[in-house]
Amino acid sequence: MRDLGIWAVRLYLGLMLLFLYLPIVVMVLLAFNRSPLYQLPIVWDTVWFQSLIHNDRLVGAGLNSVGLALVNMVIATALGTMVAIAFARYQFRGKAVLELLLFPPITIPWLIIGISMLIFFFWVGIGRGLHAMLLGHVALSLPYVIMVVGARLKGYGPALEEAAATLGASPWQAFWRVSLPVMAPGVAAAALFAFAVSFDQFVISYFLAPPGVSTLPVEIYAAIRKGFTPEINAISTIIILFSMGLMLLIARLYRFGGER
Amino acid sequence: MISRRALMGTAAATLAAAATLAVSPRARAAGDLHVLNWQGYGTDEAWALEAFKKKTGLNVVHDYFNSEQEMLTKLRTSPGAYDVVLINSTYTQQASSEGLIQPIDTSKVTNFANLLPAMRDSAYLNTGGKTFGISWVWGMTGIAYNEETVKPAPTSVEVLWDPKLAGRVCLRDDAIEVVSFAAIATGQDMNHPKDLDKIKAKLLALKPQVKTFWASEDEWNKFFAAKQFDVSTYWSGSAARSKTNSKLPVGFMIPKEGGIGWFDGLSVAKGAPNADGATAFIDYMVSPEFYYEWATKIGAPASANLKANATLPDGDVGKAIHGDVEAVKRLTYMAPLSDQERQAYGDLWSEVKTELAQ
Amino acid sequence: MMQEARRRVAIGFLTAPAYVWLTVTVLLPLSAMLFFSFLTVAPINGREAQLTTEHYLTFIDKDFYRTLTWRSLRLGFDVTLACVLVGYPAALALAKHVKGRWREAIFLLIILPFWSNALVRVYSWTMVMREGGFLDWVLHWMAPDAPPFGLLFTYPAIVIGLVHSYLPYVVLTCYISLEAIDDSLMEAARSLGASTLQVFWRVILPLSLPGLLVGVILTFIPVIGSFMEPRILGGRAGIMLGTVIEDQFTTVFNWPRGAALSFIMLGIVLLIFAASAPLLRSRLKGL
Repeated sequence: MRDLGIWAVRLYLGLMLLFLYLPIVVMVLLAFNRSPLYQLPIVWDTVWFQSLIHNDRLVGAGLNSVGLALVNMVIATALGTMVAIAFARYQFRGKAVLELLLFPPITIPWLIIGISMLIFFFWVGIGRGLHAMLLGHVALSLPYVIMVVGARLKGYGPALEEAAATLGASPWQAFWRVSLPVMAPGVAAAALFAFAVSFDQFVISYFLAPPGVSTLPVEIYAAIRKGFTPEINAISTIIILFSMGLMLLIARLYRFGGER
Repeated sequence: MISRRALMGTAAATLAAAATLAVSPRARAAGDLHVLNWQGYGTDEAWALEAFKKKTGLNVVHDYFNSEQEMLTKLRTSPGAYDVVLINSTYTQQASSEGLIQPIDTSKVTNFANLLPAMRDSAYLNTGGKTFGISWVWGMTGIAYNEETVKPAPTSVEVLWDPKLAGRVCLRDDAIEVVSFAAIATGQDMNHPKDLDKIKAKLLALKPQVKTFWASEDEWNKFFAAKQFDVSTYWSGSAARSKTNSKLPVGFMIPKEGGIGWFDGLSVAKGAPNADGATAFIDYMVSPEFYYEWATKIGAPASANLKANATLPDGDVGKAIHGDVEAVKRLTYMAPLSDQERQAYGDLWSEVKTELAQ
Repeated sequence: MMQEARRRVAIGFLTAPAYVWLTVTVLLPLSAMLFFSFLTVAPINGREAQLTTEHYLTFIDKDFYRTLTWRSLRLGFDVTLACVLVGYPAALALAKHVKGRWREAIFLLIILPFWSNALVRVYSWTMVMREGGFLDWVLHWMAPDAPPFGLLFTYPAIVIGLVHSYLPYVVLTCYISLEAIDDSLMEAARSLGASTLQVFWRVILPLSLPGLLVGVILTFIPVIGSFMEPRILGGRAGIMLGTVIEDQFTTVFNWPRGAALSFIMLGIVLLIFAASAPLLRSRLKGL
């Protein structure tokens, strides 16, 4: 009976992963298909990877996207986690208003936010550029980080730190050695969300990028009008492979397989 | 416990990320020319930019837009950022009255004399004795069909409403275009139809016909190659390219009731850092040398330069389509519309689409 | 007194950086947009604009806006429900039944799609779902006489594409709450005679509610405003409130109308959450 349960769990997770990976596998396979019109059946060829090397614009855009997303991830996670800690630990007047203010950035379509940022930055003198894009990306990631870390912290409350204090730990020690490890999965998840928000961010990048600078989503969206070839699949495959390697590395460093 | 290794790893990653960002951006250099256009629409051909650089020493950098409104938004919110802008002739007047573009010194455009007079001197591009846009390319929007499955070849716009083709029609998701075709089908003025209710009814009658919408030439090709539809609205130049380059069995016709004509112009943005360079670039773009390479190697709409069109070889499909004098006679050219008119057509189309989705 | 002052400083220090950032980059610009929504035209380049509520009234006036809002809300509901039904059990399985290496591996697999571009993924779905695409191909390989199979350009196609995009979010947020639940709590409940179902309903579910709730919020809200997936996967079924709002900026020049529609959408979202708050507050009270 126990075994049946375990196999049922495995089957369920397996089917879910199948669903998640169906388009990704198709995406990777079609990167090796010679037909520029994505016609089936697949004719194996690495021609798109070869032409990708010459596509400076696409490669540059890919690098910009990854770099921007990583920097955004670090900044947004740091700032957002601080807010989540404040929300979890303290009750104060105005907290409800602050929580409410997290809704507009995720509700209002990014197109509106993008255009209003464009006008505002132009008016204020910030203008367009990578710095403006970063400003925008972090701002859009913050609500995600705050909510996700907040959800994790709700499960713990201040009880743990108080317990540590009674055992003689200083506030700093209590935070560093008790709260932080407990928060870690929430923070890691929030960091991932922040990365994804930036990496997929089309609209902000589209409006705030200066001429000559581009990001992957902008290139892909524009390429869709012009005629996107499997070069897009090729660069996506490379990014997936790169991130797989990166995550295996992170898994080694952070060991979040669970100590239990 | 967060290990020291983990912290080091994070720090290293952040530095690496910041480094990749630092490598990429370029501030505008003195020898740069900024062009704003659709992506893949002639001005960003690598070989052309190299030839232009050899001639003038100017390095051309592109920025793109995905719709005319986005082009206007970029112009409005980034003064001094662009030199050359592609503006469809129906928007040039609006752009000049808003002060987004500046008059062009046509004496510096060597190919000016050879441009088609109807377009070159059009009131859409010239205001108050000044020229705000140089006509560059033109084309027609008509009906494309699958030569193998739609026989005999259709000649009327009513083919879109043919019950035998239910679920086999593809339309461009563009309010102006669909309203124009409905106007043609109901015998009204294409640009300013008086009876919008009739237009709406005609469009609603397409409910059983439409399979899906297309938004770009490439999307159209992919759908057509996958046999998703048999008949659709389509551009003349694109039809020529789909037939020649993608080897698809595409037939193209301008309905006997009428078709849509359009032309694009190149303009110089107000406050352009390099107005002279901009004019030189425009001159190069309307030149026969550029057009011949563009049209024969990649495929292009018809040129507004008579001499450039003449350079095309006789077997060229595009030349045949655009040279069809009878078809061209049936065209009505797209006219500038007020914001209110665009809004009215936009709302009408949104209502129809909502109904089509139910 | 010192304690109170230190507390204030701590709160300020923790919340100020993020909220200053948010205010300058998002909230102030949005306030400008809110102001625009009450003008006749966007006051750009010398346009004369008057105050008006016409853009808000047009929502009540024109039926199709309400139809579209309903379509978008329904889409949000369908996608969120599917994500929760599929994602929560998966998160539960990962948090409680799978350990060590396997958990790590499956976790990484769930996260990996985050690193692929959403647009490319959506296009890959068109390759899978259209007539002549992968699914059709596999179907004909197994049953050569079957008619052409195409899911593309239908409402289910949009739902599938969106569920695929947001499922990892829901799995992740549910997981971080579920993982925090101490196993001893469940053992204690069982030792007091609770059945598995009771343990789930009265211990696990309430304790995992914060994560589940965040997952729901971060899925439902973006989905109702989405325009990319509906356009690409939906074809003629792809018109939603998000696409029409986008139109006000990309095909016509009516920023005030687009802004008004967006703020109406924000209002509806806040209403929905305000209405469900009492229900949730009672559940979250114990935490």
